[in-house]
Amino acid sequence: MDDFQSAEESAFVVDEVSNIIKESIEGAIGGNAYQHTKVNQWTSNVVEQCLNQLTKLGKPFKYIVTCVIMQKNGAGLHTASSCFWDNATDGSCTVRWENKTMYCIISVFGLAI
Amino acid sequence: MSSSDIAKDKAARLLKKRGSVSGSSTSNDYNIRSHRKQSMSTISFIDEPSHEDPSRPPVRMENTFQMAPGKRFPHGQITGIIKDVLEGYLAEEKYEPELCKQMTKTLSEVVKARVKELMIARYKIICIVHIGQLNAQAVRIGSRCLWESNNDTFASFEYRNQSLFALGTVYGIYTE
Repeated sequence: MDDFQSAEESAFVVDEVSNIIKESIEGAIGGNAYQHTKVNQWTSNVVEQCLNQLTKLGKPFKYIVTCVIMQKNGAGLHTASSCFWDNATDGSCTVRWENKTMYCIISVFGLAI
Repeated sequence: MSSSDIAKDKAARLLKKRGSVSGSSTSNDYNIRSHRKQSMSTISFIDEPSHEDPSRPPVRMENTFQMAPGKRFPHGQITGIIKDVLEGYLAEEKYEPELCKQMTKTLSEVVKARVKELMIARYKIICIVHIGQLNAQAVRIGSRCLWESNNDTFASFEYRNQSLFALGTVYGIYTE
């Protein structure tokens, strides 16, 4: 046997990832209201924290993390993604988060190495 | 046990099962735990990836001993594709929620199909398309990746007209 990791250990677990995403959002933005000057910082913080936590899982994945923060003023926003990958090993997870003043959409794509 | 009891039991078990799978219930728990009720979140994801596919017997391939991609991800060509597609589909369009909802899905599929046509061997492709209304609001879109920077790359293009903006991004991830 040259498989040292069990299936569960090396799989993309959506629950695990969605928790990481939500914690990163709460950690970086938390209860703040939309501030134009802070958004730059927030996007980098959220993405950075997500990646940090994902690396700590120690799974054989390459990750892509995207973050959209949009001020709420009635404007619409649509996001879609399509992937060409190995369905058996790769996975994605998207979390939509909002408070009174903004929307935040984080997507994580995990591609098995 | 009467038949109605059995039915109830079954329903409860089904509910329990569904609760553990669906993302929304976990997000509720999380909100209660974190004591922040002003914000909410929803989760979406593709079907749980499975590791075993019984319909396909495992195929043992011989080693190729190839360490690097034969052809690099053609960055310029792909930016061209995104530009082509976004401009072609959105040039005459005004922002309408229903149309744009469908449009994002269509565009990401079209871009993916066009990139696939290039037949870049050993690259996985992820296409993301955002379409938003221009309404004097601020948006910030960012991404960061954990990957091998000499082989993996991305291409992106932004298009805007009078009433909407669209951002298309294609990530190319090298797989051995």
